[in-house]
Amino acid sequence: MIPVSDRPTVPVTASDLELLRQFEPVVAYTKGEQFFPTDVEHYVSECSLWEHHPDGRDELLVRQGELTMEKLVESRPADFGSVRYLRFIETLSLAESAQVLADQLLLRRKLGNYFHTGIGRLARGGILPRLLDGLFSLSFLLRGKVSAATAAAAELDYNSMFTEDRQYTCYGRVTRQNGWTILQYWFFFCFNSWRSGFHGVNDHESDWEMASVYLYEQEGQLIPEWTAYASHDFKGDDLRRRWDDHQELKIEEQSHPVIFAGAGSHASYFRGGEYQAEVNLPLPGWFSGLIHTWNKVWTETLGQPAINSFHIPFVDFARGNGLRIGPGQPQTWSPVLIDESTPWASQYRGLWGLFARDPISGENAPAGPMYNRDGSPRGSWYDPLGFAGLDKVPPPPQMLQMLADNCGKVSQRQEELEELIPKKATELQAKGARLKGMEGNPHLAKQYAVLEKEINTLSAEVRNLRREVSENIALLQGLTRRLERMKAGGQDDPRLHIRHLAEPDDPTQVLRFDRAAETWAAISLSLLMFAFAALIFFTPRYIWAGLVIILILFVVAESFLRGAFVHTVGRITLILAMITLLILLFHFWKWIIVAALVAMGISLMYHRLRELTG
Amino acid sequence: MAKRKKSDKKKRPIAVTVIAVAIVVLFLIRLYQVFEPLIRNQVFKYGITAPLFAGWKLTALGSALLSSSTYLVLSLAGILVLIGFLRLRRWSWVLLMAWTGASLVISLVDYFYSRPNYAVMASNVIIAFALNITDVQRIFGIRRDDDPGL
Repeated sequence: MIPVSDRPTVPVTASDLELLRQFEPVVAYTKGEQFFPTDVEHYVSECSLWEHHPDGRDELLVRQGELTMEKLVESRPADFGSVRYLRFIETLSLAESAQVLADQLLLRRKLGNYFHTGIGRLARGGILPRLLDGLFSLSFLLRGKVSAATAAAAELDYNSMFTEDRQYTCYGRVTRQNGWTILQYWFFFCFNSWRSGFHGVNDHESDWEMASVYLYEQEGQLIPEWTAYASHDFKGDDLRRRWDDHQELKIEEQSHPVIFAGAGSHASYFRGGEYQAEVNLPLPGWFSGLIHTWNKVWTETLGQPAINSFHIPFVDFARGNGLRIGPGQPQTWSPVLIDESTPWASQYRGLWGLFARDPISGENAPAGPMYNRDGSPRGSWYDPLGFAGLDKVPPPPQMLQMLADNCGKVSQRQEELEELIPKKATELQAKGARLKGMEGNPHLAKQYAVLEKEINTLSAEVRNLRREVSENIALLQGLTRRLERMKAGGQDDPRLHIRHLAEPDDPTQVLRFDRAAETWAAISLSLLMFAFAALIFFTPRYIWAGLVIILILFVVAESFLRGAFVHTVGRITLILAMITLLILLFHFWKWIIVAALVAMGISLMYHRLRELTG
Repeated sequence: MAKRKKSDKKKRPIAVTVIAVAIVVLFLIRLYQVFEPLIRNQVFKYGITAPLFAGWKLTALGSALLSSSTYLVLSLAGILVLIGFLRLRRWSWVLLMAWTGASLVISLVDYFYSRPNYAVMASNVIIAFALNITDVQRIFGIRRDDDPGL
């Protein structure tokens, strides 16, 4: 653990820009990344502005080439349900699409910017997630999506923009809440190419990412305590790491946290590596309830680990082996301060790229740093402490005072209780004596009942007060121990607050026979389709039985390659046994009830007779 | 008085005995299923007199021989497993679970094609659940004490 005195400090009098520069992050991208943080003005000048009306009509508001930041934020009334959006890439004809795809290949060859997947994401999930992945890919036929040609055109346009204006922009914001000084670093990308470039979940025009540093004040200096990076699948406490947690948080030049950005997705990670992101399928409520009940029986009754087959594994490659931008790197940031008075941030509530009409929003562009896609305020902007679960955490200097205050309050209450309890106890005893005196006097029955009620209430009160004393002793011990430890400079485990830690995959441990498993992962779904086709053609009579048997055989083959044969066979057999049990219950429920009653009767009789005979 | 020396042998849970009994029951049922089609087709009386295939399809006799030999394999596997199981070998647990799984698939297919054998189904269910008991899995080295589950 690094002592606080070894941390970088900045005088509280430093300007916002100085503060931001002092702690600005180093972002390490993956080799093959196509889009880097850029400035919004240049991007907007390349876009057109549109309005999607509730009746399905898209209206062009400002033509490409005519859009400026002033025009972007101009007040325009709109109907409820309408969506305002920018469009970076205009609709492409077939010939234009072919042209941009060919140009994209040439550009990549020229830049030598290739990405190698390594062990693919499909080999990291089982056969059922792969089957669902196939369905997920097919779902793009029904959902709106950003085309591959749009992605290619975006890559070409971004590169020509970058050639004109060679800088990497980082938007910084400084805000102060509850004793914390919060530095937010916002990064804007022209495009998210996770799906088209890196086999990920989605593509969309424009992308906003954010990282924060949380500082506290001590003796006129600001000291960093926490960092938080926005990332998929994580929220609240899980997003932040303590400054001294060097296993998790890499720091360059003493004051610059390192972000490992996901290829294409630009999601931020604390450690370099390949992360398995999971997309849970949107299931209907009743089905989710059924799955929940099943999982309860499966885990609690049968003692099996929980299974969530209704997710699709995607890999977020945050290898950090590509371009690095930030202090001490060949490429550095061009910082720009933003806040609520920045017109494009506060006055434009629309999407920063194409509205792809995707009902689950994965392919729709995001809104700006202050807003969600629906125009509502973004939590990470208006509540940066709550965003990282820090709303309940006081800055370290306040923590000492708050602990001391708490100790004082509890001690004071204990003193009050020490006086109060004997009084109440004596009162209770006196009432008890009076009650005894009433016994045997039928004419006092009414008064007796009233007094008995009072005694019961008082007794409960005394019991509660005694319980409070006991609880306060334990609480006081805990508070005092913590106070002493903190005074001595001791700190908690830096990862105590994390419930779900994002950890990169270790692919070598997942697969038994790397090459074979990878090949199997690539072809198994197709083989499954061929087997189903053969079944339908050759043995239509046994189609359902055949389907199930083939699926089981595929799962078993898969488990063999994953070194999970024993567990998989156990699970499959258990599932089959449960189905069979339901069938038996359906046919023989009367007999089963009779047998259970007889067995219970015999057992009861045996125990009672044993009791009788000693 | 001298203290009784504790046995080094692993104590066999009651579920293991229950499973062993279920295997014997299944073995007897499967044995019946080996001979029944052969007797029905009078193979013991006249031998194999008719062709087994009609083109690409099995004849009634072919089908009977196929089902008989399948059940024979299952019965013999049952005996092998029983021996290993009573000696508390890990491989026998794995084999028995796989064998029960295969047997359950066959029973379910039979059930859905109107040839239910409820005794086999019940025995398989008992074996599958008994094999899943924590103590049984521990004694066969399938589950370690630090494992949260299978």
